[in-house]
Amino acid sequence: MSHTSIGISTPATAQRTLPRPTGLWVLLGLLTIMALLPLVASPYALLLMLPFIAYGIALLGFNLLFGTTGLLSFGHALFLGVGAYAAAVLTSKLGVLSFELLLVTAALASGVIALAVGALCVRYTRIFFGMLTLAFGMLFHSFLFKFYGLTGGDQGMRVLRPLLLGMEWRGGKTAFLTGPFYYYALALFALLGLAMWRITQSPFGLHLRAIRENAGKAAYVGVEIFRMRLAAFVISAVYGGIGGVILAVTTGLADPELAYWTHSGNLVFMAVLGGSGSFAGPAVGALAFVVLQDFVMSITQYWRFVMGGTLVLLVVFLPQGLSGAIELFAVRRKERPPHAA
Amino acid sequence: MLSLSNLKVDIEGSHILNGISLSVAAGELVCLVGRNGAGKTTTFRSIMGYRRAQSGSISFDGIDLAKLPTWQIAQRGIGFSPEESEVYADLTVAENIELSTWTRPSGRPAATRIEEAYTVFPKLRQYLARGGAQLSGGERKMVSIARALTLDPKLLLLDEPFEGLSPAIIPLIAEGVASIRAMGKGVLIAESNVHHIPDYVDRIYVLERGEVMFSGPLAEAYRDRAVMRVIAGQIDAVL
Repeated sequence: MSHTSIGISTPATAQRTLPRPTGLWVLLGLLTIMALLPLVASPYALLLMLPFIAYGIALLGFNLLFGTTGLLSFGHALFLGVGAYAAAVLTSKLGVLSFELLLVTAALASGVIALAVGALCVRYTRIFFGMLTLAFGMLFHSFLFKFYGLTGGDQGMRVLRPLLLGMEWRGGKTAFLTGPFYYYALALFALLGLAMWRITQSPFGLHLRAIRENAGKAAYVGVEIFRMRLAAFVISAVYGGIGGVILAVTTGLADPELAYWTHSGNLVFMAVLGGSGSFAGPAVGALAFVVLQDFVMSITQYWRFVMGGTLVLLVVFLPQGLSGAIELFAVRRKERPPHAA
Repeated sequence: MLSLSNLKVDIEGSHILNGISLSVAAGELVCLVGRNGAGKTTTFRSIMGYRRAQSGSISFDGIDLAKLPTWQIAQRGIGFSPEESEVYADLTVAENIELSTWTRPSGRPAATRIEEAYTVFPKLRQYLARGGAQLSGGERKMVSIARALTLDPKLLLLDEPFEGLSPAIIPLIAEGVASIRAMGKGVLIAESNVHHIPDYVDRIYVLERGEVMFSGPLAEAYRDRAVMRVIAGQIDAVL
């Protein structure tokens, strides 16, 4: 970035407009490919894409907290659990089958719980925030695990097939999941992606980035740190809840493992894998994680070992994640011609 | 507008401010002069709520600032440019400057306030897309002051705005300060070098070991040998 002082103004403004939309375009490009996938891919591959969509949505929220605000939560699976159990309670206990109602309820429940949990957690940062979120996540897991009568304990709760836009699908389960549900979830992903893009580019997003860099500085510029962090926490929880509903409908089950800390760890893994510094990074990470896990699990029972090794290599050699590596590669390619000449 | 009365601040048991009283009225340019360690920065940090006073009061437009959190003090209309500038490295110059328009809605549109900041420091227009980490010390200082200005404050606190800057940059900052004052805002500057004090300053307070040893017009300070020994010190011992 060494410009001469004369040529600054024009390339500088061009730079400002160019890289900005890329994050959104990468995400929308990815979703477009996903939309065409049913034309070529097997039902198995499509079923694999549903967890990706669920995690992708959850990670959009997770990264508002982690990448944008600088708060690393180790208990974010809590909200996937809330979403999944909201879907389970509504469909199998209360007989509510409208998918839209499931989404709204899960979003509201996650938001309300996040408001209470966040009000305590966001007063702290770094490891203290991480440990507190971990504690709340495990608290919720214990609740799901122990209150057998209410939650089904380790058996979990069944999640019935919902009605999409009030319409019932009479075909088989796979046909439902890879057909209408797949497109519905994908459209939701795109919509929530657009919304998150607006959020990160808004003044609110600017506040969050200022807080991430230095909360002390942000205060005397008039940034209300607590309220902004709490808002980010609640928004990220709502995204987590919606992701949880999709995950639960896909598997047809809400079980306590969804809220277990290793599941939270997976979310962190995905964000790091894809690169939390970029908008689409965590979504890319979710895709890579889901595909990698499926592949490694199919060839060895020691898949956790391989996943752990991958994480080590990643942190050491690609601290910016996959998206960071791609960016670096693109920049190097761009810079090469002048060097050659 | 701003009034400190008998302010005492301790840091880890040692008395840093020993009962400071000063005031800045709307539209006034006031300078706090003193050697390093005299308590200028502590005074500013106390006004902004980073330090809590042992006793004494800080009031702004009739409101006691002592119990307010920093962000509320900023939102009441005090813009602060700290000694180290503290520009956001991760944000661009444009983002640094527009940030404060969102934190304090003031009835005047954001675009006007941003435009005003660029009028004060026209040079910044060339760096809009640059990251805060890619600026020189002088540029960071301008961004820092511009950011405090877009808050649309009634009062600006500028901590050592000329400290460590190249002689080529100092006039740009000085012009900026002059045009900020021309807007009718109150300005309180902390300065260790008496030669950097603008001659149109309304009043100076000389701070020595946490106490105000002189307050009055600059010309009067120049006539006071004891005062000059403190603020011109080693530099021109001839005086």
